[in-house]
Amino acid sequence: MTELVDTALERIHSSANLADLEAVRVEVLGRKGVLAQLSKDMGKLTADERVARGKFINAAKQSLEGAYEALKSKFESAALAERLDAEWLDLTVPAPGPKRGALHPVTQIQWEIEDLFRSMGFSVLDGPEVETEHHNFDALNIPPDHPARDMQDTFWLEGHHLLRTHTSPVQVRGMEKLGPPLKMIAPGRVFRNESVDASHEHTFYQLEGMMIDKDVSVGNLIYFMKTLLTAIFHREVTVRLRPGFFPFVEPGFELDIRCLICGGPGCPVCKQSGWVELLPCGLVNPHVLRASGIDPTEWNGFAFGLGLTRLVMMRYAIDDIRWLQSGDLRFLSQFGGQTA
Amino acid sequence: MKFSYNWIKEFVPTLDLPAEGLERLITMKTAECDGVEKVGPLREGAVVAKVLEAEAIPGYHNQKALVNAGPYGIKTVVCGAPNCRAGLSTIYVPLGTKMVSGVLSDGMLASAAELDINKDHDGIVELDGSEGIPVLDHAIEIDNKSITHRPDLWGHHGMAREVAAITGHALRDVVDMSRLPAPGSPVEVEIEDFTLCPRYSALVFENVTVQPSPLWLQARLMAVGLNPINNIVDLTNFIMAELAQPMHAFDREKLVGRTIYARPAREGESILALNDETYALTPANLVIADASGPIAVAGVIGGDGSAISETTTTIVLESASFQASSVRKTSSALKLRTDASMRFEKAQDPRNTIRALARALELLPILSPGIRLVGGLADCCGPLADPPAIPLDLDWLGRKLGRPMDAAEVRGILESLEFKVDAAFNAAFLVTPPTWRATKDVAMAEDLVEEVGRMIGYDSFPPTPPLVPCAPTYDPPAREFLRHVKRTMAAEGFTEVSNYSFISEEEARRFGLKPEDHVRVLNPIAAGQELMRTSLIPGIHRNVVENARHFDHFRIFEVGHEIHKQADATVKPLERPHLMLALFAKDDGRAGLLELKRVAQFLAPGLEVRAAEAKPFEHSTRAADLYWRDAKIGRLAELHPHLVEAGRASVLDLDLDLLLELTPATVKYTAVRRFPTSAFDLSVVATAREHSGSLEAAIRRLAGPLAEAVEYVREYQGAPLPEGKKSVSFRVVVGAPDKTLSTPEILAIRDGIIDGLTAIGYELRV
Ligand SMILES: [Zn+2]
Repeated sequence: MTELVDTALERIHSSANLADLEAVRVEVLGRKGVLAQLSKDMGKLTADERVARGKFINAAKQSLEGAYEALKSKFESAALAERLDAEWLDLTVPAPGPKRGALHPVTQIQWEIEDLFRSMGFSVLDGPEVETEHHNFDALNIPPDHPARDMQDTFWLEGHHLLRTHTSPVQVRGMEKLGPPLKMIAPGRVFRNESVDASHEHTFYQLEGMMIDKDVSVGNLIYFMKTLLTAIFHREVTVRLRPGFFPFVEPGFELDIRCLICGGPGCPVCKQSGWVELLPCGLVNPHVLRASGIDPTEWNGFAFGLGLTRLVMMRYAIDDIRWLQSGDLRFLSQFGGQTA
Repeated sequence: MKFSYNWIKEFVPTLDLPAEGLERLITMKTAECDGVEKVGPLREGAVVAKVLEAEAIPGYHNQKALVNAGPYGIKTVVCGAPNCRAGLSTIYVPLGTKMVSGVLSDGMLASAAELDINKDHDGIVELDGSEGIPVLDHAIEIDNKSITHRPDLWGHHGMAREVAAITGHALRDVVDMSRLPAPGSPVEVEIEDFTLCPRYSALVFENVTVQPSPLWLQARLMAVGLNPINNIVDLTNFIMAELAQPMHAFDREKLVGRTIYARPAREGESILALNDETYALTPANLVIADASGPIAVAGVIGGDGSAISETTTTIVLESASFQASSVRKTSSALKLRTDASMRFEKAQDPRNTIRALARALELLPILSPGIRLVGGLADCCGPLADPPAIPLDLDWLGRKLGRPMDAAEVRGILESLEFKVDAAFNAAFLVTPPTWRATKDVAMAEDLVEEVGRMIGYDSFPPTPPLVPCAPTYDPPAREFLRHVKRTMAAEGFTEVSNYSFISEEEARRFGLKPEDHVRVLNPIAAGQELMRTSLIPGIHRNVVENARHFDHFRIFEVGHEIHKQADATVKPLERPHLMLALFAKDDGRAGLLELKRVAQFLAPGLEVRAAEAKPFEHSTRAADLYWRDAKIGRLAELHPHLVEAGRASVLDLDLDLLLELTPATVKYTAVRRFPTSAFDLSVVATAREHSGSLEAAIRRLAGPLAEAVEYVREYQGAPLPEGKKSVSFRVVVGAPDKTLSTPEILAIRDGIIDGLTAIGYELRV
């Protein structure tokens, strides 16, 4: 009997692969297998012999099944290892499909600044690129034949329309639409009829801002601008206000910031002055309020203009403004990787 | 506009700041300065010198001169000027020694141009013995834009007033009004309309000698960018630069009659001007005329016929005032901007005309010795209104600026700028602006905020957070949607480009657009930028062609406005924001088109493609209209190979306004189906160019309301199908909301589809 079991064990161990093993399992552990043979003559045995036989069969079964399971698991692991080995993959090949695209740097800075203003409770408004003389000039206190019109070379269209020279007309539209009190910004494309070179474009982007409330002061304006610019440049900035003439504000200012490159002693970026002219601003001229149906004896406010194209050039140290409208992917595709 | 530091100092004699320091103060308190430059740097250390001997250097054009250079002693100087000769009194500049023409030359003899006195570089300066050397000067350049609103700052006296107020020094007035004679001139003045010409004043002089001006005066003009011409013309320019009052001198003998008229030009009149150009005039142009016709375009330019020449001996000196907008209109109509028109268009004070004449009376005897005034003053003047007083509440002023105001400080500032300040009541002033600030600039209390604020210095107002009410912001839905569109495009691998809004006529035609359908730019920046784009395609096409030089495949997109002309040109053009995508690759173009379709369906799920006839710039068999919710929202096409030679470019155009309008604002929830669905496949045999989309639509229609989905599975061409045929397989999913469909019910739907397709001529492979 022991011999029979040993032979069967040998048969199991001699299996070369999973298929062999499966055939041996049927032969050894199946209905005609060794264990079945051992149980065949049980009826002829005495009670004691039956107990002894039963123990023997159980031990033999455990031994044979253990050997089978062990070998099966060995074959399966080997087969899996072989498959995985065959599936070797070169992960250094390029990933198929399109690479990520990039948003235009002006779009990115525009959104960033829009979000900043929205966090301060400003509404974001849009206006048309083709404007009327009324909205672009007259309502902003720039009547016809006013020399201030020379400050903004204008593209004129047939039908007495024009391409807006600034985003300021949206101030007027915003006041007409929302009424006081209001906090609004208006980003967008503007046009000036000037020749294009490394630092001049006839097509660029601005952001106009305005706050109308009661008793808005120059002190409020300075506070607000400092807060805003600190957020834009991610660092504390020193600002100064000096007189500037813009017909739609009174008083009007040019706001300069301490040069971020040299910090004050002077460098080529600030033309050795230590200051960089950044944005025009001022208290809204009562004529402008009145032209938009707001009573200037009750309400006042401030307005400012921010050059988005300028900010882009400052942030990325772009030396030629023409890249921005070039459509050249060697330039544009560089702006796709940042968090903002 | 350039200002001479020395000139300002004549008005503010105690000024002790150097030019650079002054420039900074002016920038912070008055107007933007663009820089300071030395005028006549060679004048530093220059001395009057006498040429003792001059002899030619053999073989060279130069002469060797022995010069008595005063404090520097006797010097040997090599000089190339033809007028270098013994006995000449000239100017020596100690520049050090160097070898010139084989001779060691010590210093130089200078021409007037080298010394920035005038533009004469034909020879060295010839002094007549009575003159000294103009001293070194500094020119402060002021940005014209920043003084657009300040007529008074177009002359040195006005700028000096600011300087005096800023620095606290006294201002000296160089005009002595007591020199003016009583009325009674040999010329009469007639003004037709005092609105256009509020005042015309004049003086007549005889025994005039036309000659060069003294060097000091020439140097002054040069310092501020004016060219010296002769003593009479220089006088008018000098006073203009000093008092901001333009003047003009006529040769009296060339005038016809004794009356000078200020009147609109008559139809058909023209004038030959001092610049040798002839200008046709219209009644919109104000002219100065004598009995024979126009002798000047008022406030812009004088006529050639009455110009001062070397033989002039009697002159009429005009000092007048013209309406700003009239001068500006005429100047832009004639495309002629002059130093005079630039000043008049800023609205000059009519009270200034006779001040300029008083100043001329002082200067003319110096410039033209022996000159004599003929008769008295001609002065035709309309009613001049006094500037109204402006109430200024000090509490209000403090609220505007952001801190309480001190009455004495406010009064001091305003008075230093020559505003008249009267105490009214309850901490309020009545402030009367000076006439030279009242023509355009200062009219309301807000203007006084600026005067006080800038003089105190804006940096002294504490930054204060505003107290404002809190309310949700108004957010147009289009803005967030646009961000979604752009972000999606970037995530799908498209890079954003930005193109100009201008296109050329040729580009319009290339893309099948008619130039006359476009809004035209009346003053385009360049040829080829004269139309406003009605499609983004010209710019995108250019981007494709240019980038194809550097890349084998790429994806770009642009969001921009199409600008459409209205039937009535006076109605504002319609602006439609569009999204255009382009995909370029060097392949057969199939994948690109389908990829663009996938991206379009990303934005517009369920978007339908309907085949359309190709336009001339499109691939003749690869163009389609895009419909969403039954509205046509765009176009998908491959560009014609003529337009893109390096590879294949597909473009997708979507109307963003429509896309936004059709995108549902919220989701409408329907209950999830509780009973299982069943599916079966059908293969339809059709001609090879039949659109699978129309087969799908037919199946959908035949399947009825229990069809949950009809999905395209695959298509097949080849044996055993005959040539020109294909088999398209669809999977139909059916189900009911309230039960599980039984097999006979499913088969009934299937048979209905098969019968229906057969009835319209299709064969099915089962
Ligand atoms: Zn710097």
